[in-house]
Amino acid sequence: MFDEPFRWMEAISTRHSYVQAKLKKGQPVLAVPYQGGALMMGFTAQPGKIFELYDRIALGSLGHPADVERLRMTLLDMAHLEGFNRSEKDVTIARLLQFGIAPAIKQNFEEVMRAPYLVKLLFAEIDFDNQAAFFRLNYDGHSEMFKKGAVISGNDKESEWIQKQIEQTDFASLSLEKALIEACHLWEEGKKQGAPESEDDEDPPVGLAEAFDQWTLEAAVLSTETERKALYRRVTPDEIESLKTAAK
Amino acid sequence: MSDKPDNNFNGPGDFIDLLERSGYSWPSAIQGLTTIDKASVLQGTTVLAFHFKDGVIVAGDRRATAGSAIMYERCDKVIPIDDYSLMAIAGVPATAFEMARILSHNFEYYRRSQLQPLSTEGKIRALSKLLKDNIGLAMQGVGAVSPIFVTYDTKEAKPYIYFYDLLGAQFEIQTHTATGSGSPVIRGILEYENLWGSKTLAERNLKGAAQLAIRLLQTAAQFDSATGQARPEDKIYPIIASITEKGYRFMPEDELAALFLESTKRK
Repeated sequence: MFDEPFRWMEAISTRHSYVQAKLKKGQPVLAVPYQGGALMMGFTAQPGKIFELYDRIALGSLGHPADVERLRMTLLDMAHLEGFNRSEKDVTIARLLQFGIAPAIKQNFEEVMRAPYLVKLLFAEIDFDNQAAFFRLNYDGHSEMFKKGAVISGNDKESEWIQKQIEQTDFASLSLEKALIEACHLWEEGKKQGAPESEDDEDPPVGLAEAFDQWTLEAAVLSTETERKALYRRVTPDEIESLKTAAK
Repeated sequence: MSDKPDNNFNGPGDFIDLLERSGYSWPSAIQGLTTIDKASVLQGTTVLAFHFKDGVIVAGDRRATAGSAIMYERCDKVIPIDDYSLMAIAGVPATAFEMARILSHNFEYYRRSQLQPLSTEGKIRALSKLLKDNIGLAMQGVGAVSPIFVTYDTKEAKPYIYFYDLLGAQFEIQTHTATGSGSPVIRGILEYENLWGSKTLAERNLKGAAQLAIRLLQTAAQFDSATGQARPEDKIYPIIASITEKGYRFMPEDELAALFLESTKRK
């Protein structure tokens, strides 16, 4: 079946279309720096988008929960074994991706007789000089690094617009509260920008008030202000409550 | 990233299982070795823990010895395991540090993978299991560890102190405990202070508790050569840490220096 190169290319192309269609409704997750570290946030109907991966690494995700879980556990295993056998300082996203899961995911994607991973992953990291870095891993194993923040979304138009805005916003100078408000506004505007021009066959974009009302805001920070070894903490319900008022 | 679920392990979120699957194993007793020159093994310590008003205070001296030789004067014998747990070590540092590293990764791995913290009972049991696996080396005299484990249960809003023997038996401590070669010197003082001091240990505030810990360690060092005296001129102070509802906190050096000066003056 695949002995002709065209057949294989066609199969890969079909696979891209299949995965993209499956991820189309994946809600955006944003990761940006702020004065005291890095922030990751996203609205979700079903909680389970943002996780702690290691002392200084947070993971954001969209896609099939079973695939997210499998990759999350693989990354957790790798990070903890590396941290134990060597040092916490040797656990970096770049190493986990480049020498860990990115090649495996690429191979999985190109083995067209196997089910592909239906995921997009987002990573935030604070290094030991307290500098933030952000990474994105696509379902085909392609990874990218960003300094000013990054976004993943099932809707490419939406993610391209939000990414452009992240690059143009000085998130690193904002307080956590202001960074959260700004991220929420980008999320809302991104939904509008990514909406199809004809609204006949699609639901209207979800607004911020509706998202707060019907969905759960998952948000976590890697805080450089903590004295703890692990920088990750969830944004508290109180912080989210005050955000609801401020973001409107 | 196997397609098949891995059922060949004790339970999800167990880092020790993960380690074993990656080829790690705890050393068993050394074949053919029945005795050891204990003088060549690093050990000797005083560490203590007691309940105070807001939680538990954990303290330790800084000296590591091998027989009568002083090997190191800046040893950290109170080790953070997770945000709400500390382990104070007495015994062979190589084994104790390894246990602390395993425990730390075990608790964090569980919390991150299972999306909930390991229960207090689970934490206590995890250290017991490590000590039990270490029986071979402990009995040969090359890897004996007698730790104190302190943790704060956030659900119960209650701190716990556990003392362990070399073989892994665990004992919950209601008031105070101490272990290491200098501990016999101070156990009586702790009991005396608790029964007949101006306040019971559990009624003392952080400053009062830390002061007592400093004085106890200085006293232990007076009588036990394997317990190190503080040396303010070299900025060597005992380790004083506390566990409260906010998690653990190590007293910073400047705070400790001032408190040490105050604590060692006669009133």
